[in-house]
Amino acid sequence: MFSSSQFDATSAFSGGGFMPSQSTQLTDSTPSPAKSRNSLGVVPVTVKQISQASQSGDEKSSFVINGVDVTNVTVVGMVFNKAEKSTDVSFVIDDGTGRIGCRRWVTENFDKLEMEAVQDGMYVRVIGHLRVFQDVKQLVAFSVRPVTNFDEITFHFIDCIHSHLQNSKLQGGASTQLHMVESSMNTPVRNGQTFTSNLMSKQFDVDGLKDCDQLVLDRLQQSSSIGQEKGMHMDELCQQLKLPMEKIKESIRSLEDEGLIYSTIDEFHYKAT
Amino acid sequence: MDTSKPAIFVNGALLPMHVRKRVRTVIQVVGADRGAVVGKSPDDLQLVVKGSPPSAPLTNFVEVIGIADSEKSIQAEIWTNFGDAFDTYNYNQLCQLANGEYQHLFL
Repeated sequence: MFSSSQFDATSAFSGGGFMPSQSTQLTDSTPSPAKSRNSLGVVPVTVKQISQASQSGDEKSSFVINGVDVTNVTVVGMVFNKAEKSTDVSFVIDDGTGRIGCRRWVTENFDKLEMEAVQDGMYVRVIGHLRVFQDVKQLVAFSVRPVTNFDEITFHFIDCIHSHLQNSKLQGGASTQLHMVESSMNTPVRNGQTFTSNLMSKQFDVDGLKDCDQLVLDRLQQSSSIGQEKGMHMDELCQQLKLPMEKIKESIRSLEDEGLIYSTIDEFHYKAT
Repeated sequence: MDTSKPAIFVNGALLPMHVRKRVRTVIQVVGADRGAVVGKSPDDLQLVVKGSPPSAPLTNFVEVIGIADSEKSIQAEIWTNFGDAFDTYNYNQLCQLANGEYQHLFL
């Protein structure tokens, strides 16, 4: 019930006219290995993590937390120094790890009503856009909701740890895969060609595959790219990847279900789509 | 931004490590003793919370933020009613994570 994915980031972008930078930000996402699709989601963080976030590149609205680009975050903490003005409500959130200034633009009646319910000393969940204003990091809040079930506070901090682990693992995982591809690049394949480096980017396309699946897929993609019409035989995969046949078969089944590979001349030969 | 005054998540066992520092914990209220509130920490140890509780009656579970003034007592600045149902097991686990492997996310 507390899942941060409940919040639809894209719909929040479409509304406010106050943040013109966001629409461009969504479209001009230049692919770089460090970026993951997390960069567009809402990331649970502690204020301490925000304080240590470094700004990525020239973009004023993008930060790196756990090595991942982050623009929208969620924090849970206590409200202090709430100050209402005609166009916005500013306040400070203290989550026990630090304090950060927040601002909620009040454009519609809904914003006004939501902010009226928020009082100093109250625990709230804030979802907002991280930015630097006059050299100070602050949150431009889209949503400020009082916490009603206090297990949400425990949940939030465990969520921060989970997200931190997931993002650091994502990077760790990618780098080990890179090593594997590198080592396979040194082994010339049958017709004497070595694999080109553009293959490296491919592995970032597919999230959530198991290691073995990824290895099989990588190998099949390599074989397709050097123009092997009939793909690869399972035995070949088994030999080259030095994995048990059972595992290879299992991976082939799940990759086929995902539509990432297909069988060619018989049920033993497979090719990447 | 200010991260100079964190409140460290503690349970009863971790409190002695943070004497004279700012801490936060959730107690299950057991009773009152000479103007202080006696409660059970998330790991089932007895804690004494001093300071002035809010005017509203305390619920079963109360979060206190304040200075650890001894190994078993906290001088509370902020009291927040957490209601009559709260998962102390999860909170206790969080206290351990926040003081262990993942301390750098908190302090």
